[in-house]
Order: sequence, then C-alpha cells, then structure tokens
Amino acid sequence: MAAKPIASPIPVAMYPTLSVFTLAIGLVITAIFFIYEATSSRKNRSLAKELATAVVASVFLGFGSLFLLLASGVYV
Amino acid sequence: MRMAAKCPLLIIINGLRVKESPMLSQPFKLRKVFLLHVNSPADDPSSVGIYFFRIAISLDEMGARIWIFSVVVAVFLSLSGFSSAQDLQIVNAERRIDVSSHIVKAFLTLKVENIGKSPVAEMLLAFPPTQIKNLAMVQALAITGKKKKKTYLPLDVKPTELSGPPNDAGHFSISFASPLGPGETVTLEVLYILTHSLEPFPMEIAQSESQLVYYRDSAVILSPYHIKQQTTFFKTPSTRVESFTSVEPANRAGKEIKYGPYEDRAPYSYTPVIVHFENNSPFAVVEELVREIEISHWGSLQITENYKLTHGGARHKGVFSRVDYQSKRSISGASSFIGLLAVLPPRVNSVYYRDEIGNISTSHLRTGFRKSELEFEPRYPLFGGWRATFIIGYRVPLEDYLFEASDGRRYLNFTFGCPLVETVVNKLTVKVVLPEGSKDPSAVLPFTVNQDLQVKYSYLDIVGRTVVVLQKDNVVPTHNVPFQVYYTFKPIYMLAEPFMLVSAFFFVFVASLAYVHIDLNIAKK
Repeated sequence: MAAKPIASPIPVAMYPTLSVFTLAIGLVITAIFFIYEATSSRKNRSLAKELATAVVASVFLGFGSLFLLLASGVYV
Repeated sequence: MRMAAKCPLLIIINGLRVKESPMLSQPFKLRKVFLLHVNSPADDPSSVGIYFFRIAISLDEMGARIWIFSVVVAVFLSLSGFSSAQDLQIVNAERRIDVSSHIVKAFLTLKVENIGKSPVAEMLLAFPPTQIKNLAMVQALAITGKKKKKTYLPLDVKPTELSGPPNDAGHFSISFASPLGPGETVTLEVLYILTHSLEPFPMEIAQSESQLVYYRDSAVILSPYHIKQQTTFFKTPSTRVESFTSVEPANRAGKEIKYGPYEDRAPYSYTPVIVHFENNSPFAVVEELVREIEISHWGSLQITENYKLTHGGARHKGVFSRVDYQSKRSISGASSFIGLLAVLPPRVNSVYYRDEIGNISTSHLRTGFRKSELEFEPRYPLFGGWRATFIIGYRVPLEDYLFEASDGRRYLNFTFGCPLVETVVNKLTVKVVLPEGSKDPSAVLPFTVNQDLQVKYSYLDIVGRTVVVLQKDNVVPTHNVPFQVYYTFKPIYMLAEPFMLVSAFFFVFVASLAYVHIDLNIAKK
C-alpha cells in the first residue's frame, strides 16, 4: 500500500524565520501606506495606489501573523 | 413422569387436589405452579417446554388408582449438544493463568481433533457468565511446525450467540485457517485477558498490611467439547498463597499451582475453585480516559489526555501515616503505588503534565529512537480507593502519522489505547479532530468500538472541525495497536486560515482609508 507521508507545505523549522521576515516586510509596507496618507494632500491622493499598498501590506501581515502563531506553538 | 427437553432450566412444582376416594391414603393440596426460567441469551421458543402430566384413574372405574402428579421437571444442562459440536474433540489442553498483576492473562494451548466425518471450519470457546463481562480481549493463533520452527498464524475470533446455550455461558467462535478435515488435528493457542477479576479479600486493609485477593475460576476448562486430557497452572506473584481449593490432583510448588492432569471430562464440565493469594502489584485502574488527537496540516499532531486514575485494590482504612510510609517503605503501603510509566511516541516534544491546580513537576521524560518514556508521579501515593486526576499532553510531528492512501484520501495512523503500562481503562474515548474542510471521515480498527461524530470549534474556525469519536470499554495494554482514520481534504482549504488573517488586516487598512477620505467639514472650502 502506498503510504506516502504528508507533511506541511512549508518546512516546520522555517516558521520562525519566515514569520520575522514577512512581518518585517509587512510593517515596512504599512509604514509606506501611512506615510503616503500623511504626506499627500486631498487633491493628490490616488485611491488605486492606496488600495494596492493596503492589499500588499495586509497579505504580508496576514501571513506573517500566521507564521508567528505557528512558530509559537498554536498550530491553527 | 419426567420429561427432559432441550431447553433452559425449568422447574415446575405442581400439585393438585383430587376428589376423595376410599383408597386414597392422603389428600394432596393444590399448590402454586412455579415457573423458574433462567435467562438465556438466545431464547429459542421451540426449546421451551413445560410438560406436566396428571393422570388420575378412578378407582371405581379400573380397580386401581394410579396417581401420577407433581411432575417436577428439572431440565438440566443439555448434554446432547449440537451436531457440529460433537465433531470436534480436544485431545490435550493446557492452560496457564498468570495472576501476577491485576490484569489476568490466560494462555490456552489446545490440540483439537476432528472426530466427525466432514470438515469443520470453526470451533467454539466457552466462558462462564462471570468471566464474559470481564473479558477484555480474546486472540487465537494456529501453531504449525515443531519446536524451533514454529509459525504462528493469527485467526479470526468472533463472539457468537448460540441457540439454547446451557448455563448462560458466553461463546466465541474461532475460524480455522483452512477447514479441519476428518481425522486431522490442529494446535491452537488462545490468549484471553480478564480485568477486574481479582477480588480483594479482606476488602479493606490498613497501611501496613499486605493485599490478599481471591481469584475464582474452574479447575476444569469450560468447553463445548469433550476434553481428553487437561492441566491448569496458576502463576502467582509471590510465594504467599493463603489457600486454594483442592480438586484432586492439585498441588503447589513455589509460585505455581497445578491442577491436573484431569482425564476425560464431558463438555461444559465446571469445577469452581478459589485461589486466595497475596498480590501487591499496582492495581492501577483508569476510570475514564479521554484522548484528543488534533491534526493540524501545518505540521503537528497535538495529543491531550485527561485521566481519572484510581487504585482498584483493597480499600484503605485507618489513617495514612506519612512518617511510616517514608521510613518503612517496604512494609508500609506495600500495595500502594506512586510511580507510573507512560510510553509515548519517539519524536515527542512539548510534553506537559498538569492537573487542575497547575503543573506537576514530579516527572521525568526520556526520549528515544523507538519510544519515549515519561515516568511521572501523582501528587500523593495512591492507596486503595484513592483517586488522582491529571492531564498529559504532547506534540508529535505530522509526517510520522499522516499518510496519503493510494485512492487519494488521507489517513491518520495512530495507536489506540492508553499509553500507561499495566493499566486497565474502564472507559476510553478517543477523539480525532480533523482539520476544517475535511470530508467523509471513517475509522478502521481491528476491534469493535462505538463511533460517533461531533463538531469542535478551535482557532481560526468558521464552520468548525469534524471530530471522530471512538469509544471502548474495558481496555487493556494489548489494545495499543494502530488504527486508521480516513478523510478527504483538498489542500486549497489550507489557505482559508491565512485568508482570514489577511482580510482582517485589510479591513483595518480600509477603515483607516475611509477615515482619511471622509470629509466632515460643514462649510465648503
């Protein structure tokens, strides 16, 4: 009988490293988002840019918090 | 007149009053009709018969008065048996019963011969009704070859109901590997395990006393077949045996009591014996154990076990003196136990041992390549009747236990049963929590359990996780065999969890965007 073991798609040993990096990138992009909000005036704002930054930041932050949960032992 | 019928035990007492007659010496009073019917597992209506006759012939009519009344029909054990049962005969039977621990293990070596004319495909094992409810496991092996080259072949053993069984004996049927031809013999080895069969006597002991127990069994093996020669050996844990029922020839040598050899015993013969001996082995009984195995596809299996442990031996009476217990450990509390051993999987991590108060630090974990051992102690020693409740939890890597079957389904291969050694579990519940998005769960086990499905809400769950609940009573360490739980899972569902987190962060960004864009000025610039 083919008994192929199933493992996690990402090696478990890499969870802490991945969480640090994805969270760092996510926080940097969040910073870019809020700096853009603060420095631009109402006329110069571009909704497309804002939304794009928000999407990318939330993706990185989302995965970063998932890897942080997994690295700390809460296997969701 | 007596009528013997093939049916369960029936006793009828009947009397009648007849009219007076000059030849009659004494009148007979009408008495109540009693019907004592012993419950049989399978009621066969055709075999239940009540027969009583009364024939009264008037003296005047025939010149003689014959009274036939008060038919006491006592129907006894049906020795006529069943046609298939008499095809087999046990030539030699040897039974070794090991009562050194509170789990009684009995090894039966039977040499069975077919004395009928047609091949027989299965044979029956009988157990007395008191043993049937304590029977935890029955296994049978067929032995072929001699001495050094023995091969063992496991055989199917199934509980069977027999129509009109005598004396409420329970039966198991063993299917032979190949039907036994006429005149052929086969050697079988049967292992059966009994729990809660050692009865402490005296039932209450003080701290400094040793524990003595009764074991009740039969000197002669209960069997539906004729046994030509048989011997029974009892192995006790120590040389102190208070008494044992003597059924000639019976003798005791050291730790072994030998009953036999007995020749030519009829089917279903039973001679009860009681052995009263000292047994100070730890009577560790887990009243209830709930094991929860949570599968996470992100890489681990988390197992949480909730124990309710008791000491199932003679109850403790009097005071507990800690001074005596610690200074004279060999005499004081001989039957109590403090240390327990749990055998855990090899690559185990994050093991915790706690109870409702908090962490219990009296434990040692030794990890190894084939298994890990956790030696732990409850907060206090356990004497007869005392209880301890605790939780043991640990984590194992997923790839050791989760596999993909050839048809695409995933399955978990894990051990059923309690990790504690030499412990009986009265009620075991194993819950396998499957990840969200799993469908079609099914469990495959080598023995019967009660299966159920539940839903559990855990971290980042929307619809809840399916839980396969397996429940079994009277579990012994030989039940620690692997079992499988199959389910289907599409890997794309794993993204549901990060998607939830991503959308939560995105909502925060959109809210801040909305805040920045909304213009709450009253006056237009």
